[in-house]
Amino acid sequence: MEVALRKIQRPDPYLDIADVEADAELMLLHLGPQHPSTHGVFRIDLYLDGEIIVKAVPFPGYLHRGVEKLCERLTFVQQTPVVDKHDYVAPMTSEQAINMAFEALLKVEVPRRARYLRSIFAEMQRIASHLLWLGTFTLDLGGAMGGGTTLFMHCFRERETILDLFEEVTGARFHYNTHTIGGNRHDLTAGWAAKVKSAMDLIESRLSEYVSMSYENRIFRQRTSGVGVLDGALALELGVSGPILRASGVDHDLRRDAPFHAYDEVEVKVATATEGDCLARTKVRVEELRESIRLVRLFLDGLPEGPINGGKPIKLAGQYKVNTGQVYVGIETPRGELGTYVIAGGEGGASPYRLKFRAPSLHALSTLPYVLPGATLSDCVAILGSLDPIMGEVDR
Amino acid sequence: MGVDKPRTSLPLFDEGGRSYEHPLYDKLLSMPGLSVGVAPLDRLLTWGLTNSLWVFPMATSCCGIELMAAAASRVDLDRMGTFYRGTPRQGDVMVVAGTITVKMAPRVKRLWEQMPEPKWAIAMGSCAISGDFYRDLYPVVPGIDTFLPVDVYIPGCPPNPESLMAGLLELAAKIRSEQGKPLTAPVQKTGGLVATKPSIARIGDPERDPSLSDQQMEAASRAAESPVARPAEELEMPPVPETAPGTVAAPPTFAPELVELFQAHGVVDFPKDAPPVVPLARHVALARALVERGYKQLVYVVASHWLAGKGRSGNVAGGPEHHEVAYGLRTVGPKRGAEGGSKLAWWSVRVEAGGAAPTLAHVIAGADWQEREQWDLVGVRFSGHPDLRRLMMPDDWSGHPLRKDYPADAHTAPWR
Repeated sequence: MEVALRKIQRPDPYLDIADVEADAELMLLHLGPQHPSTHGVFRIDLYLDGEIIVKAVPFPGYLHRGVEKLCERLTFVQQTPVVDKHDYVAPMTSEQAINMAFEALLKVEVPRRARYLRSIFAEMQRIASHLLWLGTFTLDLGGAMGGGTTLFMHCFRERETILDLFEEVTGARFHYNTHTIGGNRHDLTAGWAAKVKSAMDLIESRLSEYVSMSYENRIFRQRTSGVGVLDGALALELGVSGPILRASGVDHDLRRDAPFHAYDEVEVKVATATEGDCLARTKVRVEELRESIRLVRLFLDGLPEGPINGGKPIKLAGQYKVNTGQVYVGIETPRGELGTYVIAGGEGGASPYRLKFRAPSLHALSTLPYVLPGATLSDCVAILGSLDPIMGEVDR
Repeated sequence: MGVDKPRTSLPLFDEGGRSYEHPLYDKLLSMPGLSVGVAPLDRLLTWGLTNSLWVFPMATSCCGIELMAAAASRVDLDRMGTFYRGTPRQGDVMVVAGTITVKMAPRVKRLWEQMPEPKWAIAMGSCAISGDFYRDLYPVVPGIDTFLPVDVYIPGCPPNPESLMAGLLELAAKIRSEQGKPLTAPVQKTGGLVATKPSIARIGDPERDPSLSDQQMEAASRAAESPVARPAEELEMPPVPETAPGTVAAPPTFAPELVELFQAHGVVDFPKDAPPVVPLARHVALARALVERGYKQLVYVVASHWLAGKGRSGNVAGGPEHHEVAYGLRTVGPKRGAEGGSKLAWWSVRVEAGGAAPTLAHVIAGADWQEREQWDLVGVRFSGHPDLRRLMMPDDWSGHPLRKDYPADAHTAPWR
């Protein structure tokens, strides 16, 4: 049974379990919605033959807050604090994604300094997000009683340094509300750049510790190597993006391939791997940590002087007028392509007629019916953790 | 020897009218001087409880991250004896950190019931306290105290780890204040710290004025309409900065090499600011052709609902009630100089009321979940879909919330 299932390249997500020939009666296990490994509230129904998963049916929606309905009655300038709560591990990039869509719709230009600031924030946010992921992922694998807690503590220690720096500029640990249409709200404080550089030096010097505690650890390798293999072609079809896609051998990164912010002024090195398993996803994310540190330094060195928004930032609904139009803008966040699709309904409305968020985590979770069959129950935790889902973004 | 006199036992806990009755227990209670004997024990128990409040984290969203940060290196709740347990059986305090939706609330209640007595509940953050700005939206429970007895409210969005620590200390003080009460009396939890409760009557409150929802709706629509009413010369358009070398957020432009392909599939008009409309009959064939040309990554499926007389400008303005479903596919490939890079192709189809769009799930597997979500929320049907179930809302939900005729604060939730 086990061998037969592992050979199937693309399991049938619509498999009728009545057709499954199992040695014993299949067991139905509800994993979640409250389970420490589900990173929030998410449920999967697992049909198990012994310990082998035969079929997996995911059920998102336990955190569906109806944000898209809410956005239809908020004006464009009121949306930023709302989207902070989507990807609450990387709110900076959520804010950027929605404001860039509005800038495209309202045809507002962003000053160069603001674009540099956004790039710096985005890269620092990527470091904070990947650190949080690495810590919680090892916690999933090792558990509180194994070695997992150690790396969790180390990663959170470094993450706090970045949150402190963000707090200095924006006044908040997260949910910053620092981006607006046409630029940023907060300029840097004096001496901030020097603090960032020393924080980057600190994190860089500790990266080798993370590596030795994560994928150079034998137990970690055994739990992740060859587990949850995702084929690159299938990943593309499912709309998977970000580190998961790059770990499956697809060389795709919007920072380089469709540049936004100030990424067209630097060369972004994209980390890829071909194995497509949980180990490859870890390696890609750790490589991205290195690359982000390098990019933060580059952007800080090249930071131009000038205004951070269009002289008078758009703060009120009366400052703009939108007739019709549909716009989609997607940017590369720590989890992949986060996009905003805006439909303006005409008649000069100050609110969007329809707003849709393209959430990378939702696409990542849609791989589960394909990846889980053939894996064991313990692999399920590793696979789920390696996808780095943020349920606020999945369910919205 | 028959004992006819009624028992005078006190209920230890009262669940569904049953009270704890045990002959030995009754005998213990009637022993003179026992209360004096157990008083030091009570103090010991309270001391133990307040110094080892084990938390069952009911973390759903953003506050859960701060909950984690509180357990991590900087704040380190362990030194207060607070430790997180992933199972309700080992928890003393349920910390509800995050928004609770109608789909999640029955599970929270059930987990609460699975926690052994004595137990306490903390509402962490605005969403758990009142529902935050989601409170009048269709899927959100406006505060967990609508179905749970809350002991301590920790305000913030999200509260700092230090605020959580303060909240736990507050709870310890509350437990100490309950010390010395008879062991047999069940802890009657009312509403916790009532002073911090929002003063607005909830939608479910019997005292709430039913016209309040309508007033809120009117106010919201007035706010949305007011800038339109302002004359154009009053609008303060921000000046375009001189330093800007060009706009960064480039809207998707239609790839010129695709024009022929789209024309072959029945597209006549290519609007500048909206996706071209493809006839329903040619839509699947077009998607197949695009995938063959390298547009292999599914980006989005976005449905929008238009009531009769409404419609986007351009080639399909107004008309009867309909849905518009927009699709986006991407190419992948590294950008080298001006060559390569990622290009986006977008198009949309128009689905008349009562009709259905042919599914793309057989062409590109990711369309499965995307179309399920759009059917669930916007109510557009997809014919030939292999598994058209709701994705976000509970299975027994009625209606499609993102339809324009769906009330903004619907009263369909059982909590309201």
